[in-house]
Amino acid sequence: MQYLIQLLISGLAIGAIYGLIAMGFAVIYKSTGLVNFAQGEMTMITAYIAWTISTTVSGNVFVVAIGAILAAVLLGLVIERLVMRPMLGEPVFATVMVTIGLAVILRSAINFIWDAYPHGLDISMGRGIVHLGGIGVRTGQIAVIVTLLALLAAIWAFFRYSKVGVAMRAVAADDRTALLMGISATRVHALAWAASSVIAGIGGVFFALSYDLSPAMFQLGLKAFPATILGGLDAVLGSGLGGLLIGITENLAGGYLGSGMKEVAGFAMIIVVLMVRPFGIFGERDIERV
Amino acid sequence: MRTGDYKQSYGELVALVDSPPVWLWSAVLLLALIAAPYLLNSYAVSFLMIILITVTGALGLNILTGYTGLISLGHVGFLVTGAYAYAVLVSKYHMPPLVGFLGAGVVPALASLIVGAPSLRLKGLYLAITTLAFSFIINTVILEMRWLTNGARGIQVQRPEILGINFDSDAAFTYLCLAFASLTLFATLNIRRSRVGRAFVAIRDNDTAARVMGINLHAYKLFAFVTSAFITGIAGALYGIYLSFVSVEGFPFLLSIEALAILIVGGLGSALGAVLGTILIVLLPEATRLVFSLFSAHMDATFTTGAQELKSMLYGLVIILFLRFQPRGLVGAWHDIKRTWVHWPLRY
Repeated sequence: MQYLIQLLISGLAIGAIYGLIAMGFAVIYKSTGLVNFAQGEMTMITAYIAWTISTTVSGNVFVVAIGAILAAVLLGLVIERLVMRPMLGEPVFATVMVTIGLAVILRSAINFIWDAYPHGLDISMGRGIVHLGGIGVRTGQIAVIVTLLALLAAIWAFFRYSKVGVAMRAVAADDRTALLMGISATRVHALAWAASSVIAGIGGVFFALSYDLSPAMFQLGLKAFPATILGGLDAVLGSGLGGLLIGITENLAGGYLGSGMKEVAGFAMIIVVLMVRPFGIFGERDIERV
Repeated sequence: MRTGDYKQSYGELVALVDSPPVWLWSAVLLLALIAAPYLLNSYAVSFLMIILITVTGALGLNILTGYTGLISLGHVGFLVTGAYAYAVLVSKYHMPPLVGFLGAGVVPALASLIVGAPSLRLKGLYLAITTLAFSFIINTVILEMRWLTNGARGIQVQRPEILGINFDSDAAFTYLCLAFASLTLFATLNIRRSRVGRAFVAIRDNDTAARVMGINLHAYKLFAFVTSAFITGIAGALYGIYLSFVSVEGFPFLLSIEALAILIVGGLGSALGAVLGTILIVLLPEATRLVFSLFSAHMDATFTTGAQELKSMLYGLVIILFLRFQPRGLVGAWHDIKRTWVHWPLRY
């Protein structure tokens, strides 16, 4: 029983990280209709920048957090302006392939700028252990779950009540009509890329806190795919919850079936889910007019 | 006077080649390729082998992604399945290599039925991600089936001997690759001009309209998957023989991306494009190395330390630049050049 609870808690913690990155996918998909295959790499760059700040400038939590968020915003804006905006109006396939090219470039750039060895992000937080009813839980694990829930609530409110959020939904639903209504689609896209970069970057920093930075970290992006597919590509909140679900599934499969199953449990799960609901659990059915 | 390339009958639209000179130039190219292993040094021959093997694989993906418009991010899964099917049959159970090649085609084709089945309901990006999932699952399956595949240790593969001909030397193996590559090219071109190929293209352009016109979407999508996986599997077997060692690490996920890059750079949905794209992408790192070494010895040193990173950065950059500035790929550029040549100094 204790083993099960332990698995569930660590599953929730890693699932929250997947959830954050999956929300990054969904924010971009919701406002631009694209899947950003470079999400894992963007996550990784933010985490590496956070590590660089912590080692060269200051290990203070607030300095690192603010620096990482600013870097993530900048990264998102630069990528949107330089790489994605020229592709506006091109077919979806071409634009998605551009993000794949971007992913390849970013991944190599990381290996080129930083080295290929693992690093621990040490800001004297997140590695302490709290005992909850006899079960040891890392503070970092608690923090990431709380962050995910807080962000879920904030984003729900943002899309529901704020003017910008409504504008983003309008662009997602029909960008031409939105343009006619006076919404600047490019500004909405820029905002979406920046927001997605920050949300996923937070996930990346938490991952670096609990585990380590390494060049293989881009696989987080691949792991978060099942989460966002499970929740539905256009469902931001669903993607967050999908992450938790995938994290738990993965950990249970790894704990009871073997480590090989842990790697693919998420992928196996989405294949089954997509057979039943081809648009994800919380996604909207795509009705095609002829 | 003929002022352009006009088709005047349905027969011309589905002809294998546009005009008789194409046959002549193809024959010249074939002869050149046959002579090449004896004229080039062994370093260049290894590039020739890689190009021929990659062409086979790229043509396989072209049927699925180029013709039928189903994006696959998991083609490396078929490649690795084919390589393992060959290695297990030939190295482990000592079957004749021809049976091995047949297995290398059939096993991925059967696997593709499993991946293809969800594709009947999924579209676009959801399908791309399902194929991605498949390629990760297949790696795990291979690693877990230790009794058959030796798990992470991989399988040693020898160069084959088929019908009494020994393909041990580099030249002979190049001929084997050449045979497979030209057969595949011929088959792909013929599929494209047949009823099946037209159905594929109709599905790519608008699947609802294709269905209304009486094309059985399920059957043709599955057929595209099976054909594509069959060809890719054989390319995988050839690549395994080239590496002389089949393991999961020998087939990284980057190969899937590389295959898509080849199709995009060459021109999506064109067999000629797949060939041109392969040549460019395979030779790109080598060409860059040459350019770098021309500038200075210092740059050359940077290139060797960060070679792998620079090489992949170039892939990415080339993909992005092609999509941005030449979306129709090298084939599109070639058509533009031909048109300019014919019409000059007029624009049309």
